[in-house]
Amino acid sequence: MEQVTIIKERRIPTSGEVYVDVGETVTPDTLIAKGMVPSREIHELRLYRNLNIDPETVKDHITKHEGDSVEKDEVVAIARSFFGRQTRMARSPIDGVVTDFSEKTGRMMIKGHPVPVEVYAHIPGIVQELYDDEGARIETQGYLHHGLFGVGGETHGELALAVESGDTPLTSSEIKQEHNGKILVGGSVATLDALREAVKQGVKGIIVGGIDQKDLTYFLGYEIGVGVTGGEDIGLTLILTEGFGINPIDNDLYEFFMKHAGGLACIDGTTHIRSRNLRPEIIFPTLSL
Amino acid sequence: MSSEKRGKFLLVDITHNDTKAILIEENKITGKSKSPTTVDEPTLDVTRGVQDAIRQIETAKNIKITTKNGVKQSVKLLCSSSASGGLHMIITGVIGNISGESAQRAALGAGALLIDTFSKDDKRPPYKKIAAMRQSKPDILLMSGGTDGGASSQVLEMAEVIKRSDIKPRYGTEYNLPLIYAGNISIQDQVDGVLGENGYALKMVENVRPLINRENLGPARESIYDAYMEHVIIHSPGYTKLAEWTDERIVPSQAMVGKMLFEYAQQQGVNLLAVDVGGDTTDVYSVYNGVFNRSLNAGIGLTYGIGNIVKEAGIDNVLRWLPSSFEERDVRNIIGNMMIKPHEKITSEERRIQAAIAREAIKLGVNGHKAIAQRLKGVVTERTLSDMFEQALEPTLLNMMKTQLVVGKGDAFKNQTIEDSTMILLDSLQPEGVTELYLDPENMAAPLGNLVDHDRLTALDLYGDSLEFIGTCIAPRGELKTEKDALRIDFEDADVSHVFKYGELTVVPMKSTEIGEAQIVPYRLDVGAGRGKTIKRNIRAGKLGLIVDTRGRPMTRYRQTVKLLPFEALGRKS
Repeated sequence: MEQVTIIKERRIPTSGEVYVDVGETVTPDTLIAKGMVPSREIHELRLYRNLNIDPETVKDHITKHEGDSVEKDEVVAIARSFFGRQTRMARSPIDGVVTDFSEKTGRMMIKGHPVPVEVYAHIPGIVQELYDDEGARIETQGYLHHGLFGVGGETHGELALAVESGDTPLTSSEIKQEHNGKILVGGSVATLDALREAVKQGVKGIIVGGIDQKDLTYFLGYEIGVGVTGGEDIGLTLILTEGFGINPIDNDLYEFFMKHAGGLACIDGTTHIRSRNLRPEIIFPTLSL
Repeated sequence: MSSEKRGKFLLVDITHNDTKAILIEENKITGKSKSPTTVDEPTLDVTRGVQDAIRQIETAKNIKITTKNGVKQSVKLLCSSSASGGLHMIITGVIGNISGESAQRAALGAGALLIDTFSKDDKRPPYKKIAAMRQSKPDILLMSGGTDGGASSQVLEMAEVIKRSDIKPRYGTEYNLPLIYAGNISIQDQVDGVLGENGYALKMVENVRPLINRENLGPARESIYDAYMEHVIIHSPGYTKLAEWTDERIVPSQAMVGKMLFEYAQQQGVNLLAVDVGGDTTDVYSVYNGVFNRSLNAGIGLTYGIGNIVKEAGIDNVLRWLPSSFEERDVRNIIGNMMIKPHEKITSEERRIQAAIAREAIKLGVNGHKAIAQRLKGVVTERTLSDMFEQALEPTLLNMMKTQLVVGKGDAFKNQTIEDSTMILLDSLQPEGVTELYLDPENMAAPLGNLVDHDRLTALDLYGDSLEFIGTCIAPRGELKTEKDALRIDFEDADVSHVFKYGELTVVPMKSTEIGEAQIVPYRLDVGAGRGKTIKRNIRAGKLGLIVDTRGRPMTRYRQTVKLLPFEALGRKS
C-alpha cells in the first residue's frame, strides 16, 4: 500500500461558526465548525381541551406566553374549578419555546429548541481552506484502504488485533475490557455475540473479513436495504473488507494491519454503493504533528 | 416490412458495458456489432468503442463507413447513451404530488434516473434538504413549483435552499450544474435573482404545470435533452468528439426506449406494459389508451439495488420463489455479496436467486408505476353515481385485464432461459384475460427508438422483428376451489376443445404460430367480459406455444410445476 495525500471536506449543513484557521494543525478531535439548525419538533396544544373550558377563556389561564422558554412537563396553562378544589393543567410535551398562542382558538404552538450540529476534523492534518461559516478543508498524509461495506460513521482510535490470523473468526471471547476505545481487527467473520460484546466493552470500531448478513440485520434491528449507510447509531463502526459470509481477510491486508497495530486508525463505515460508489475508509495517518 | 426505400442509418447505443452499432440500409438491418464501451479507464474515449463496433460491420460487409473525422455523409449517425449509469437528476417542487410529480414525469420521460426529489411539503427540514442536495451530485436539476401566476414565496424559498446547497455536478467542479427552471413563469426574474449567478447554469422554460389541471412536459423534456448534450455528456470522455460526428443530439437511451414502446403500442393498437430490471433500477413503461408513462424505482435492481428488494418485499417473499433447499442465511449472504460486489458471471445458485429477486423487483416496480400512471392530482373531478358503479375513475391507468401486450427486457432476463423468463413475467405481473408475452433479448428499443423521428415505419418493423414472442397467456381473474373446472377453450379452426382445471399452469406447445379463433368459456371466473362470460379471440402461439394460467388472481401458488399438454393431445369438440 502506498502513502497518499488525503483530503477531507468538513462542512456543516447550515451557517455557523468555524473554529480553525488556514495553516492550523488539527487532531481528529478538533472541532472545525458548529451551528444550530431549527428543531423539527412542533407541537400544537389545544389548551381548551386540557383545561376543559371555552377556547376564548383560555387566555386568562395561560402561564407561558409567546417567546417564553419551556421545559418538558412544565405547566403552560392552569385552571381551577369547584371553588379551587379541582385543578386542570396543560404541560409542555417538549423542551422548547412558545412560538404562538391564539386567544381566539385557545391553541398554543411550542417549537423545540434549535439542534446543534458540529463537525470534527476526524483525521489529523493541516487546514488548507475555509468554507465561509461552514467548515474547512483538511489535508494529511497517510495510508488509505477502502473496505467493501460498512455501517456506522466516523470514528478513530488505536488499532488492535483481536485474533491471531485473518482467517480466525471473531467471537465474543476475544473481546476484552482492554479493547475499550480501540479499533479492533477481527478475522474471517464476526459473530453477533462478538458485535454485542464489543459494544458492551466500548470498542469504537471493528474491521473484519465478513459477517453473516442475517446477524447484521439482527444487530442493526432492521434490513439494510439500499447500500447507503453511515448514519447508523449502533455503538460502533463496522467495516467488512471481503464481503458477507465467512471470508478470511486478505493476507497482505492482514499483514498491513499487523504492521500498524498500536497506531492511530481513523475509520468511516459510510458506504454509498449506488451512483457515488463511496466505500468505507480505513485511514492510517502518517503526518507527524 | 415496408417496401419504400429509405436512407442509410448507423444507430449507436452506448451502455455501461457495451457499445452497439446497427447499420440500416433500405429498411433492413444489414450489419450489427457489439464492442466494449470505452468511457472508463484506461481508454477514456467513447469513440474508440464506437469505432471498434463500426469497424466490425465494415470488416464483415467489406465496406467503408468511417472517415477520418467520423462517418460518411451518406450515412446518418444517430447516437443514444446510458453509459456512466445514465442521466442522474434531482427534481424540486412545491407540492410533492402536484408540481413535484409533473416534474418527475418530465424527467422520467426524458430518460432520467431520479436520485432524489425535494418539495416544500416533504418531511425533511431545510438543513436536511441542504445536506442531501450536497451529497446528491446530479447531472441536472429540474426545478418546478407553482402554477403560472400562482405560488411564489414557496418557490423562492426552495430556490434559497438550492442556492445554499451549492450543489456540484457529478462530473467535477469545473463547470456549473445545469438547472432547468420549469415553475411559475411570473417569477422567473426573481428565481434568476436568487440562482442566476450562484454556480448554476440556469435555463428558464415553460411551466411543467401551468394550470392545476394541465401538464406541459414537452419544453422541460426538450431542455433536459439540450442540457444533457451541452453540459453533461460533453464531460464524459470522448463525447465531444462523438458529438462532432453527428448532426443530431446524443440522447439518453431510456428516453428512446420509451419512444419506441409508445410508437409500437400505437401501431399495434394495444395497451402495453414493459418492465426492465437492471442493476440498480427497475423501469416500468406503459401505454394505456394512448397515454405513455415511465416510472423508475431507483435502488430496486439485481445488483446494487438487490438489498433494497429484500427490505421492501421481505425475505420470505423472495424465498417463496426458491426451492425449499435454499437456506435463508445462505440466500441473504449471496444477495448481500451481489449488492456489494456485482459480477458478470454468476453461478446457477445466483441465477435462481436473481430470478426470485426479479419477480419481487417487478412487483415493486409495477406498484410504483401505478402512482405515476394516473390522472393529474389536485384536480377536482366530478363523479356521477354511474361513474362510481362503473369505477370509471380508477386510481391508476394500469389494468392487467386491459393489457394486451407485455414486454420483458433488461438484465433480469439476460441470464435466464425462456422458460424461466416466462415464469418471472407470469408470477410478477400476473396477466389477466388474454395477453401476448414478449422478450426484448437484444435491447433493440433504444437504438430503434432513436430512428423513430427519421424513419418511423422502418423502426417499427425492425422492432417488431427483434422481439421474441413467448406466447399468448390466457389467465382468468377470480378464485375457485382447487381442481374445479376453471375454463374451456374451443379452438374453432382445429375443431378441438379442452377444459382446464383451476390451480394449474399449463403450456400447450404448438407447431404453428397461428391458432386462429378460440372461444374461451370461463366457469365463474372472468377473462375480460365479466364473470362467467365467454369471449372470442384470435390467438397466436409463441415460442413456448399457448400458456393457460389458472392459478387464480390474485395468485397464491408459488412453486407450481408446469404441466405440458401437446396440442395434438387435445380432444375433439363434443
